[in-house]
Amino acid sequence: MYRQGFSTLITQCLKISIPAIQQTERRYIKRWVAPTLRELQRRRDKIGPPKPEPRSSYLEWNYDAEIFAFSKRLGEVFKEDVLRQALTHRSYSLKQEEQDGIQTDDNSALIEKGYNLITSYLKEEFAKKYPDVLVGVLYDHLITTEMLAHVATHIGLKDIILCADFPVEATTLANTFASIVAALEISSGKERAEKFINDILVVQLNGKDVYDLWKLNDAFGYLKTMLKDKDIEPRLCNQSGASTILANYQVGLYSNKQLLGIGFGETINIAKHTAALDAIQRIYNKRSPLS
Amino acid sequence: MSNSHLFMKSGFIKTPGQNGVGRYICQLQRVVLKFCKNNGSSRGLRDFIEKELVDFAKDNPGTVVYLKPRRHRAPVIIAEYLNGERQYVNCHNYTSEEVSKWLNLLRTQAGNNDNIRLRKLWHTDHPSIQGPWTPYTFREPALNLVDFPNEELSKPLYVEPSATEKLLEIFKEQQRNLNILEKNQRE
Repeated sequence: MYRQGFSTLITQCLKISIPAIQQTERRYIKRWVAPTLRELQRRRDKIGPPKPEPRSSYLEWNYDAEIFAFSKRLGEVFKEDVLRQALTHRSYSLKQEEQDGIQTDDNSALIEKGYNLITSYLKEEFAKKYPDVLVGVLYDHLITTEMLAHVATHIGLKDIILCADFPVEATTLANTFASIVAALEISSGKERAEKFINDILVVQLNGKDVYDLWKLNDAFGYLKTMLKDKDIEPRLCNQSGASTILANYQVGLYSNKQLLGIGFGETINIAKHTAALDAIQRIYNKRSPLS
Repeated sequence: MSNSHLFMKSGFIKTPGQNGVGRYICQLQRVVLKFCKNNGSSRGLRDFIEKELVDFAKDNPGTVVYLKPRRHRAPVIIAEYLNGERQYVNCHNYTSEEVSKWLNLLRTQAGNNDNIRLRKLWHTDHPSIQGPWTPYTFREPALNLVDFPNEELSKPLYVEPSATEKLLEIFKEQQRNLNILEKNQRE
């Protein structure tokens, strides 16, 4: 507009005709930016979130330092070659052999040894304090792959395991925990290894309710077989709100006028069941104080 | 708690993997200090690295310390915890003292507590060791010896006075007022 006006002004003033000046528009808002960004975002969304990279692929990674820190973190002394072997899985050593032709020791033997040690220690230790049924229940709870994998991640094994698969599978983690136990036994002796199992694995029972792990469907029957020579008499101690949704009953189990256990429930049968659970717990506690 | 904290993710303090019940394991597994070698904003971090970092690494052998110099980028501390969480601390223009304080915080934490509002400063899995309340918890012990059906206990707790009783009460009130009036007049 301005230019046009200007040129007409000049033609009027100078009385000569000037051909119209060719203009190139100058835009300071770059109109290609937003569509490009949008397109880039669309492609990014199409690909999906990036796959997790193993920590060892980062630039800031020093395996020697990691292994040193691992043993210091636990406050244990490992023989370095044994620890390295314990962290090397069969899948990794096979891959190495294929690629570079280097043979490395893997931890298959250590895993088996570790599981044997864990099993014997747990069963021995529980048998000192708990009845046979509970030994099995507690052992089964601790030896599961999830539990061992959980423990293994919380001592920092996840990043330093050498195996072919990534992300590391739970079974691999659990196996590595066992092999670490075996490596500790070789390095520092059986006593240290057992203390390690106690401090790291057995401790996971802290704060757990026995009956969360031990599913007793017929507690009263179990109590009866426990106390074969005694006569167990369930008595209704209290009840209130019968035939309402807040109905509740309190049942006590007596034997020769002695209270064995007492429990609540929304029906008499459930109350009897909880009373039996309570009685079993009281009897076992008296026999062996929980440590 | 200020208003801006209302929409933060809330949570309780927690200890991962029963840490400290058997033995204590430092939850900071590695820390990466990223800094620039000549930018002024990294100066405090560089001072820290020169003077205090070796002592820090000696005191905490369970934590792997990495240094990553990079040109003309902001100084940053990245902490990695055993539970898999990462935490960024931007150290722009921090003094070396501030850096060591932040590192101390990262070292003693169990995970990334950024952007978490603690609902309480304590937590317990067993709020009551007494067990839940029941209708029989604070029951009067005397009730244990009562024979049912019991006449005394069968009475209603409150009986509204009948119309006759109310009338009698009003009549008595009137008489009382009359007596007082007469007494006053006599005096």
